Amino acid sequence: MELRGVGKVYGTAEAALRVLRSVDLAIGAGEFVGIVGASGSGKTTLMNIMGCLDRPTDGHYVLDGEDVSRLDDDRLSRVRNRSIGFVFQSFQLISQLSVLENVEVPLYYSQSPRTRRRARAEELLASVGLSHRLRHHPAQLSGGECQRVAVARALANEPALILADEPTGNLDTQSGEDVMQLFFELHRAGRTVVIVTHNPEIAARLPRVVEMRDGAIVRDTQRAAAPVALGAEGG
Amino acid sequence: MRLEAFAEVLGLGLKNLMRNKLRTFLTMLGMIFGVGSVIAMLSVGAGARREILARIQELGINNIIVHSVKPPEETKPGTQEQNRWMAKYGLRFADRELLEATCPAVERVLPVNQVKQPVWRGSRRSNAAVLGVLPEHLPMFHLEVARGRVFNQLDADECKQVCVVRRGLIDDLQLLEDPIGAAIHIGPQSYEIIGVLADAQFRAHTREALAIDEHALDVYIPYTTSMRNFGTFTYIQRAGVQEISSVELDEMIVVVKQTSLVRSASRMIETVLERSHKKKDYEVVVPLLQLQQQEQIQSVFNAVMIVIAAISLLVGGIGIANIMLATITERTREIGVRRALGARRRDILTQFLTETAAIGVVGGLIGCLFGLVAVRVVVAYTGWQALTEPHYVIVALSISCLVAIVAGIYPARRASLMDPIGALRYQ
Repeated sequence: MELRGVGKVYGTAEAALRVLRSVDLAIGAGEFVGIVGASGSGKTTLMNIMGCLDRPTDGHYVLDGEDVSRLDDDRLSRVRNRSIGFVFQSFQLISQLSVLENVEVPLYYSQSPRTRRRARAEELLASVGLSHRLRHHPAQLSGGECQRVAVARALANEPALILADEPTGNLDTQSGEDVMQLFFELHRAGRTVVIVTHNPEIAARLPRVVEMRDGAIVRDTQRAAAPVALGAEGG
Repeated sequence: MRLEAFAEVLGLGLKNLMRNKLRTFLTMLGMIFGVGSVIAMLSVGAGARREILARIQELGINNIIVHSVKPPEETKPGTQEQNRWMAKYGLRFADRELLEATCPAVERVLPVNQVKQPVWRGSRRSNAAVLGVLPEHLPMFHLEVARGRVFNQLDADECKQVCVVRRGLIDDLQLLEDPIGAAIHIGPQSYEIIGVLADAQFRAHTREALAIDEHALDVYIPYTTSMRNFGTFTYIQRAGVQEISSVELDEMIVVVKQTSLVRSASRMIETVLERSHKKKDYEVVVPLLQLQQQEQIQSVFNAVMIVIAAISLLVGGIGIANIMLATITERTREIGVRRALGARRRDILTQFLTETAAIGVVGGLIGCLFGLVAVRVVVAYTGWQALTEPHYVIVALSISCLVAIVAGIYPARRASLMDPIGALRYQ
């Protein structure tokens, strides 16, 4: 995944708000990257662009070898569905649907057949330790459980990239830690994970941290103890 | 696969609707009234058409019927003196010849002699009406025999004592043996039954239900026989008063050449009869005009129903659009999540359109029930006929579905065009 000279401007020419200024960022397969920065530093916008929810005004975004910065809406939907898994701060589960149905949503949009969908969702929920909650609705679950459902949902279509926006922001310390453990496991299993966070403690544990300020990257720290990241970047 | 996907979206839509039952029901009300009126309109319209057809069958659209009517009693002493022993009034043989000769639009005039004599057999007596008619009268009114035969010119020429009866009469006289060849009495004379008529194809429902079909018991005998045996005199004894009246022609059926000439022919008949009769001792009945009148009443009813249906459907459609707009606002975050997880605009559009279509279908079904009830109420209060055919339900359901989908297009489109980022942040 690579961002080249990505810029984002909101508003019209007269009242332009430059949120991102020519950001260059390459993230290799299997890396675990934290993005930190004060609010207003542009990290959420960067996340949205990386998540194909938004298109950059300048520059290019190459995901999995494909330039997705100029794709039309339907193609972007497809990229989001197949290649990206989202985990949000506020969980964003659909309250009317059961836990199982929530995990099935991305599978529904990738048009996998009903029985396969169900089996896959059950398997995913088992992997995050929620097999006993399949028929519950999100409102009946604790915050930590909700976020684990969200992680299971993010993994539904085996995405190349998992994007988490403050995944522990709404959780108490213990559930936050549980969720972080899930991300570390995913990282160990070879997935690419990008986390936006305010929390310096969390950032301190990540192999690579990108710090942003005023719409630009000001620091990109690689820790030596990141064997997977280094190995994957070559390939 | 596509069908399965559709079924799933539909299931989801129904589930969403079930979540807010009262709101959904209130939204459907417009649909329910609209569809109900459509069903009522179609049913009552069909019933009316059927009744009109039955009337045409019964009276003939090209016919004009002229009855003899007893004129109001005159109180002048002089005239009363004169008419004490016998009332002479009504149509005369000369009228028939005059009409045939003077009106070019008239094809022919069929005389009918009403025999006011009791019909009986053994100890059973019936209130049947006995009509002396020409042989061509029966086929002209589509009176076909189920068994036996109708009388022909030969029977008429020889003044045979034969008759053609309706099924009802056989039951009424409790005739157990084979009716063909059986003898019944009309007044003092014996007649042989040679034919039994098939039941009228179009019989008015209400009359049938009340067992008062006016022609259920009719007995037809040859005109010539009736003239020879009973003549033009009628002797009635009631409440101690004896009344003898002499009417040459009880009824004339004027057959007009073309339907388009019926109106002018009826005016001409009125004029001709007015000149030759001093008193108004006849009555001209024009089935065509009656039917037209009935159709007019019907069309007023239809117009009212169309307006009600259109307004209800319009209001119903607006209601659906309104509620869907509220729904998509409520579910903005859901829309954002679905978009983030890979839903295309088209998927969101389909989801909400299916939901409105579900409102249309469910509302339509309830509306159909409502319509069927409404039809019964209309029938009970007006005595009109109604005929509900199965395809009306399909028509009504398609209309409600269509209205619902049209109403859902704008809200669904708005939902599909939402910016996913904004939708996700929506509180």
